[in-house]
Amino acid sequence: MSKPKIRIYDCETNETIDREMNSDEFAKYETEQLIEAKRKAEIDTLASAKSALLKKLGITAEEAALLNA
Amino acid sequence: MAKQTFTTGQVLTAAQMTSLQQTAMGGGSPIQKTASYVLAADDAGTVIQMNSASSTTITVNTALFSAGDSVQIQNIGAGVCTVTAGTATVTTAGSLALTQWEGGTLYFTSASAAIFFDIVQSGGMTNPMNTSGDTIYGGASGTPTRLGIGSTGNVLTVSGGIPSWAAPAAGGGMTLLNSGGTALSGTTTTISTISGSYNDLVIYVVDYYASSDFGLYCLINGDTTGANYQQFVNRGTGSSNNAFVDNSTGGVDCTGYAAKSADNDNFTYIYIPNYANTVSKKVVNSISGFIQATGSAKAVCNNNTYYAGTTAAVTSLGFKTTVGTWSGGTVYVYGVK
Repeated sequence: MSKPKIRIYDCETNETIDREMNSDEFAKYETEQLIEAKRKAEIDTLASAKSALLKKLGITAEEAALLNA
Repeated sequence: MAKQTFTTGQVLTAAQMTSLQQTAMGGGSPIQKTASYVLAADDAGTVIQMNSASSTTITVNTALFSAGDSVQIQNIGAGVCTVTAGTATVTTAGSLALTQWEGGTLYFTSASAAIFFDIVQSGGMTNPMNTSGDTIYGGASGTPTRLGIGSTGNVLTVSGGIPSWAAPAAGGGMTLLNSGGTALSGTTTTISTISGSYNDLVIYVVDYYASSDFGLYCLINGDTTGANYQQFVNRGTGSSNNAFVDNSTGGVDCTGYAAKSADNDNFTYIYIPNYANTVSKKVVNSISGFIQATGSAKAVCNNNTYYAGTTAAVTSLGFKTTVGTWSGGTVYVYGVK
């Protein structure tokens, strides 16, 4: 399975290199992807919870914002 | 000696020959005048010398001289002596008004026209120039002084009260360090080998989007250690508005979550002052406008200030999509003087 690609531009030589990640880069990338997935899930969960609460209260997001004003 | 009309068999004396020789060499005994004078026919070939403290004239009339005749005129008096066209025409490229110690030759081209060849008794100037591109300026007490040409692009400036050639002072302005901009590609696009010869860095990331809903992160020198990026967030929406947070993912979080659409025209501006110093850590300001991915799709503006935990000079900047790969966008890195 091929690894994701990265692009590197060298300001001194004006050369652009496109290559696959090496093993270290790929390992770090996979770790970051897990963190990102978790963070995304938390955001989605929070958004769902907010949406459900607003529905339960029968108010809109704008009306809810007024409570904090 | 005045011009003579010689006859066959005439015998010249030594004195006459000497006088003739002097006149032929532009010298000869002058006929001195102390008041304004009208040239006469027998002045041909002589030296008329004015010596008057007041202004005087020497008048030139027609029908007295022949083509080829000449009269030398000198002024040794303090008053200005002016060669004046009477009935004859007198032309000159110089001046007909002779100040003290000036003179010239009145040369007749016909009986009614003469040219006055003005000899200005000037001190002149010794030319100090000796090389192509040289210029002259006044040195001590105005002494003509050589100034050699500068290098290409130099401008004339003043240093220590004298002119000199020097490189123009660097103005403000921005220099694009990645020629033409670099299209975002892969998961991360890195601008490397950034020159340290500027004061600040300014980065524009234009029209970027990824294959999935994504976040744009800027990596300082490739560092992805979350604890090295202390972030103050000031954003339009989200749970971490106006909050100070450690960035757990690592990198300058420019957008949070942006929608993947190619039509969103996202734009990010990043400013890194004093980026090349190797003493202090770096502060990074990022301002982004984008369409958010979560909740309703609406425009969001993020203004994030980062404290990046590196004392090393910034020599590379990575632009990473947190999810997927870059589908479009261009990054421009400018060095600012």
